[in-house]
Amino acid sequence: MQRFPALTLNQKLALLALTLGVGALFVSPTRGGAVSIDPAEMAVIVQKEVDHVSVDDLADWIIQGRADYRLIDLRDEKAYAEYHIPGAELAPITQIAEAPPARNEKIVLYSDGGIHSAQAWFLLKARGNRGVYILLGGLDTWRDSVVFPVLAENPTPFQAERNAKLTARAAYFGGAPRAASAAATPTEGAPAAPIAGGAPAAPVAMPKIQTPPAPAGAAAAAAPKKKKKEGC
Amino acid sequence: MPAPFYKYGGFGDETSLVIAFVIGIGFGFFLERAGFGSARKLVSQFYLNDLAVFKVMFTAIVTAMLGVTYLSWMGVLDLSLVYLTPTYLWPQIVGGLILGVGFVVGGYCPGTSVASMATGRLDGLAFVLGLPAGTLLFAEAFPVLRGFYDSGALGVRTLPDTFSLPYGVVVFGVVLMALGGFYGASVLERHFAKRQ
Repeated sequence: MQRFPALTLNQKLALLALTLGVGALFVSPTRGGAVSIDPAEMAVIVQKEVDHVSVDDLADWIIQGRADYRLIDLRDEKAYAEYHIPGAELAPITQIAEAPPARNEKIVLYSDGGIHSAQAWFLLKARGNRGVYILLGGLDTWRDSVVFPVLAENPTPFQAERNAKLTARAAYFGGAPRAASAAATPTEGAPAAPIAGGAPAAPVAMPKIQTPPAPAGAAAAAAPKKKKKEGC
Repeated sequence: MPAPFYKYGGFGDETSLVIAFVIGIGFGFFLERAGFGSARKLVSQFYLNDLAVFKVMFTAIVTAMLGVTYLSWMGVLDLSLVYLTPTYLWPQIVGGLILGVGFVVGGYCPGTSVASMATGRLDGLAFVLGLPAGTLLFAEAFPVLRGFYDSGALGVRTLPDTFSLPYGVVVFGVVLMALGGFYGASVLERHFAKRQ
């Protein structure tokens, strides 16, 4: 009765695959239970700065309609209602601690500056979340370089190209570029008028952050890109 | 240190290129040893009398899938850091069709064309020269193709997410699909071999 050796190699391999496949029904790719921090590993991540996402990258992701990450706004409800980056979810830091996102999700954190993000980053890392990233410079940098970018004055052809890109991108996010001279003394107060060109999509309704007048051309430039996002 | 080693800073860019080179040589070697350096062998796939390509590729998929499942379960591999290609529905469908037509007409896909060229075959060489030529053509036409290139963006989609199924169920389903496919392939091979 030597039945098992009677199987061919292929059949044995098929049986092995089937066994592992059945086993897979009972395993989860993300480990549960307690995790411990490896200080050396954390130090390497911090030193290599692989835990950062630049505002430029994030803006590109949003424009491209990428959906492989969760953008988390760590500020309070009021600040979130006033303005948030398109696609961001509100999750104050206490909520992060109580109901952390799944361990295999890619998370991008932001707050006003960088301190809360860094603290939440550590909190999530300590809970075993792997793909946690900090928006470098937070909402401040987002505002100053994406929504209201400073354009180079007397641009070279190369800079002019970049200026055009920045202008279109700012318009996409409901902002407008400002001149380098204006950047030094930003105008305060004065609630934002609706963006020229009208009918911006709800998520890009701009906050009362800063209010240089938006050139009509910029809003027009954003129109085709918005159309692209509808396809998502 | 958990995998992927590169993303955890286990080694730098230069080392990663060396590792990629070694893996690439290994990939080419096994493609050639499986007989995939010959266009005849590859194309007989489409005449259904030799489905070795299907069987080798599906075996590789199942092996890698089971490996990734168990390694991440054991905490060795961090799945969230494994790069997944985002879905751009329309360009990927059209691209797949173009690749398929090229495969049927010429008998190679990109990897096997290089393996074939390495064994001295001229049709493999023609494919390898075609790669940069096609890339150049695409790059020149890119401003025109831009809108299409970005169309149908769905982000990263996985089967467990799309069908709201547990990860393990999808793994089990793919294993069943593979085993059924292997059995079906051997039936087809026997059937079509008779007519030769």
